[in-house]
Amino acid sequence: MSSTFDQVATIIAETCDIPRDTITPESHAIDDLGIDSLDFLDIAFAIDKAFGIKLPLEKWTQEVNDGKATTEQYFVLKNLSARIDELVAAKGASA
Amino acid sequence: MHLEYFKLIDRIVDLDVAERTITVEAQVPKENTIFEGHFPGHPIMPGVLLIETMAQASGWLLIAMTKFQRMPFLAAVKEAKMRSFVSPGDLLTIEAGIVHEGSGFAMTSAKVLVGGELRCNATITFGIVPFPHPDLREHMDAEARRIGFPQQAVADD
Repeated sequence: MSSTFDQVATIIAETCDIPRDTITPESHAIDDLGIDSLDFLDIAFAIDKAFGIKLPLEKWTQEVNDGKATTEQYFVLKNLSARIDELVAAKGASA
Repeated sequence: MHLEYFKLIDRIVDLDVAERTITVEAQVPKENTIFEGHFPGHPIMPGVLLIETMAQASGWLLIAMTKFQRMPFLAAVKEAKMRSFVSPGDLLTIEAGIVHEGSGFAMTSAKVLVGGELRCNATITFGIVPFPHPDLREHMDAEARRIGFPQQAVADD
């Protein structure tokens, strides 16, 4: 898997005290790992810092609430990692 | 401080939205029923109220940064340290700054000083949401006037 996933998994393991070896690319942060919204703020903080981005949590939440997206698109870790890569690429393109 | 109404900030001393910092003052009352129980013969300001004071100072900074469009709500407190006592009659200076501005949340670092001496500090997380009720927005506007919120600091460029 990508190094992005490895970094995200490490962040989750350290932030939420979840054994690293239980975190896979297929893990759903909420449904499988039991991460709640408050804990996810700490994860978002660490991801924002590590990657120099700002995860658009409000936009994602709105899309899920409006039925325009599923939580799997953003919170399954392989998908989250892909979104992070996109944000990093977009930031690099606009720099 | 109006402890009974949880209005803990008296005055904004400095607000710098560009630098993302705020300094406020709060006068601890000399007498209050809180001090009768906390503690007899040794009245001190409860640590939880000092944390709330730091949260409210941080909150005004966040309200300023959102130009009064959003309300910050306390979500988490980390590394809160009560370093020495705060007594009735103390004049508190509270300084706060942004540690991280995320999407729908923010983290601040805040500290309370008395006479230039650090008394407590904390890192605080807030969820930031649209005002859930117009009454709350009106209340915050009134509070802003009471504590001398510098409206020019959030005026449109």
